[in-house]
Amino acid sequence: MKIRKLLRTLHRDFGYFIVGMTIVYGLSGIYLNHRHDFNPDYKIFITEFQVYLPDKNTLTDKDVKAALLSVNEDVVYKKHYLNNEGFIKVFIENGEAVINPENGVGKMQYLQKRRVIFSMNKLHKASIGTVWKWVSDIMAVILIFVAVSGLFLLKGKRGFGKWGWWLMTAGIIIPLVFALIYI
Amino acid sequence: MKNLVVIGILALLFFGCGNQNKKQQQSAEPQAVVLTVDDLYEKASELSDKEVIVKGTVMHVCKQGGGRCFLMGSNEDINIRVEAGEKIGAFTQEQMGSDLEIKGILKIVRTEADAHNPGKEHGENSTEETDSIADEAHRIIAESLEDVEVVYFIEGFSFKEIKEIAE
Repeated sequence: MKIRKLLRTLHRDFGYFIVGMTIVYGLSGIYLNHRHDFNPDYKIFITEFQVYLPDKNTLTDKDVKAALLSVNEDVVYKKHYLNNEGFIKVFIENGEAVINPENGVGKMQYLQKRRVIFSMNKLHKASIGTVWKWVSDIMAVILIFVAVSGLFLLKGKRGFGKWGWWLMTAGIIIPLVFALIYI
Repeated sequence: MKNLVVIGILALLFFGCGNQNKKQQQSAEPQAVVLTVDDLYEKASELSDKEVIVKGTVMHVCKQGGGRCFLMGSNEDINIRVEAGEKIGAFTQEQMGSDLEIKGILKIVRTEADAHNPGKEHGENSTEETDSIADEAHRIIAESLEDVEVVYFIEGFSFKEIKEIAE
């Protein structure tokens, strides 16, 4: 049949075409599923430290900068201020620190981007502007087409009518059950 | 098929260049009045639903995707939420502590969904022990919202980072 042949060709070519985005959607989907277990975009490193600081009333940018450099020489200072609780809040490149001015005890949080996954998450969530939103829509439609056209490729006892629909139904029932129970 | 691929790539390049032109046009626009967060709150009632440009220090960026950030005024209690929306896309954690100038529409909170109390939402669900500093920021933001009668936020359009001149 001509339609089946056309479907096979389109399924094949769009299938090749969509592999990259399918991996992006799948892999970043796993990270985003676990967003309450860990940060999907960044690795977070915490360092607790104690530094010497002059009196908080005479504290300058240079004092804070020097104190943080004594903890980690790679730290790039941005700015600081005294927060409502009287602690020094310091913004650094890729992180922040909070220091108790009374005893110099502090905690530094440093963020390291999960390079590839960070970009994949951005693409997945279409949070890089309007053009990508539409391109991403097209990719999603192609992905749906590849999935649906796949149903009609095979004939015979392993075709959709005799075999495929069982598996397709199972694949629909699993999320459906969860949706009915938890939503 | 090869032709389709070539046409697709050309279309993408065209759209990409179109976006760049738009950005260049935006930067060529005449300068409007830039308000600090403190100034914005003073004039908030008259600026509601109007376009504003506000500058401040980014005190918090939503860790789950950067969909919003909070700009700080003269102290932590004076802060305003900025929604990245479709045009900005997302803020990044790297922007924490940076001074931003954000253009957008000043909105007044009308529904519970608009209110966005980060302390009550994702912050408390986090099982990540390392997020104590973020949780502290959520608490400060939530407390600063508690006593106010009206809550404002900005639907962001665009932003630029204000670079300080090095000493």
